[in-house]
Amino acid sequence: MSNIKGLFILALGLLLASCSAPAPQIQLDGFWIVQPPSVARGTAGYGTIKNTGKEADTLLNVSSDIGFVMMHKTDLVNGMGRMIHMSKMVIAPASELVFEPMSYHLMFSKMADRIHQEGEKATLTFEFEKSGIISVEVPIKP
Amino acid sequence: MLKKLLILSLLFCSNLAMAETLPVLSGVGGNFSAIANGEEIEFNDYRGKVVVLSFGYTNCADICPLTLGYYKRLYNMLSAEEQQMIRMLFVTVDPEYDTPTHIKEFVGHFNKDFIGVTGTRAQIDEIISLFHAEYNKLSTGVVATDKIRRITQKEVSEETGEDTAYLYSHTVSLYLVDKEGDTRALQYTGTPIEEFADKIRILINE
Repeated sequence: MSNIKGLFILALGLLLASCSAPAPQIQLDGFWIVQPPSVARGTAGYGTIKNTGKEADTLLNVSSDIGFVMMHKTDLVNGMGRMIHMSKMVIAPASELVFEPMSYHLMFSKMADRIHQEGEKATLTFEFEKSGIISVEVPIKP
Repeated sequence: MLKKLLILSLLFCSNLAMAETLPVLSGVGGNFSAIANGEEIEFNDYRGKVVVLSFGYTNCADICPLTLGYYKRLYNMLSAEEQQMIRMLFVTVDPEYDTPTHIKEFVGHFNKDFIGVTGTRAQIDEIISLFHAEYNKLSTGVVATDKIRRITQKEVSEETGEDTAYLYSHTVSLYLVDKEGDTRALQYTGTPIEEFADKIRILINE
């Protein structure tokens, strides 16, 4: 009887483990903010979001203590660079979303004055549909 | 067989010749008047110097700092003598916001030798037209607000008055202009720096 009970608990455990397995696994890598010229009213942030899990997740919002943040993409069409607002971004399982110049980037505006100070850091807070809120401290550098 | 060899060697020689010269892109560029680093200038004032020219604006977050960062790396690759022979121009497409002082300070952040060009809207439009470039203003009203995720402001600088910053789309080419004022190549920030520097040297040595 105790063997059957043990097997039942083992099976339940395996079932629970298999239920939690497909969750997304989000990792924020190498994010940084470009220190802008003192007269600039905008700047950009770059880095990589990795999803090493087995389920997609969606980036809903990014905020920061250094200013307003919007998710943008630079699109090149016939030699013209234009900015596209991204409302949300899906990160498929086992894939990554790269924020880099001339592509996806975080656009900052209404920035705090300390962005111009050497060695400053800022907090970026990412809100994901499934993984919830993940904050990371990032350098501000030229 | 001999004929083939002859043709091949001719092709090889013509390729070598091509590598050492840059064709004139006729119809691209020309003289214009504007304000460069706070002073009224004509583009012809730069005759005798090789010019790199591009368009942008100071409220541009992604493309323009990348372009000026590229300018900086390119400029730093050149010797002091070569730097004497080149002028790096950054022309705003937002002259209403980018005053002469403002754009000078913006480009000066990357290198004090760089030249920020502004002027009247008509002057800027003339430069855009001469270089077959384009720009479009993307006012905040153009973007549907439901496409912008909510944004959170926790700490911002003290700012008075209305925020009149606009976004623009604009041509991202880098124009390489020779000592005679003729445009000789269109590059972009993806061009390997050494390749661009070599083209500048070709024009300096002409």
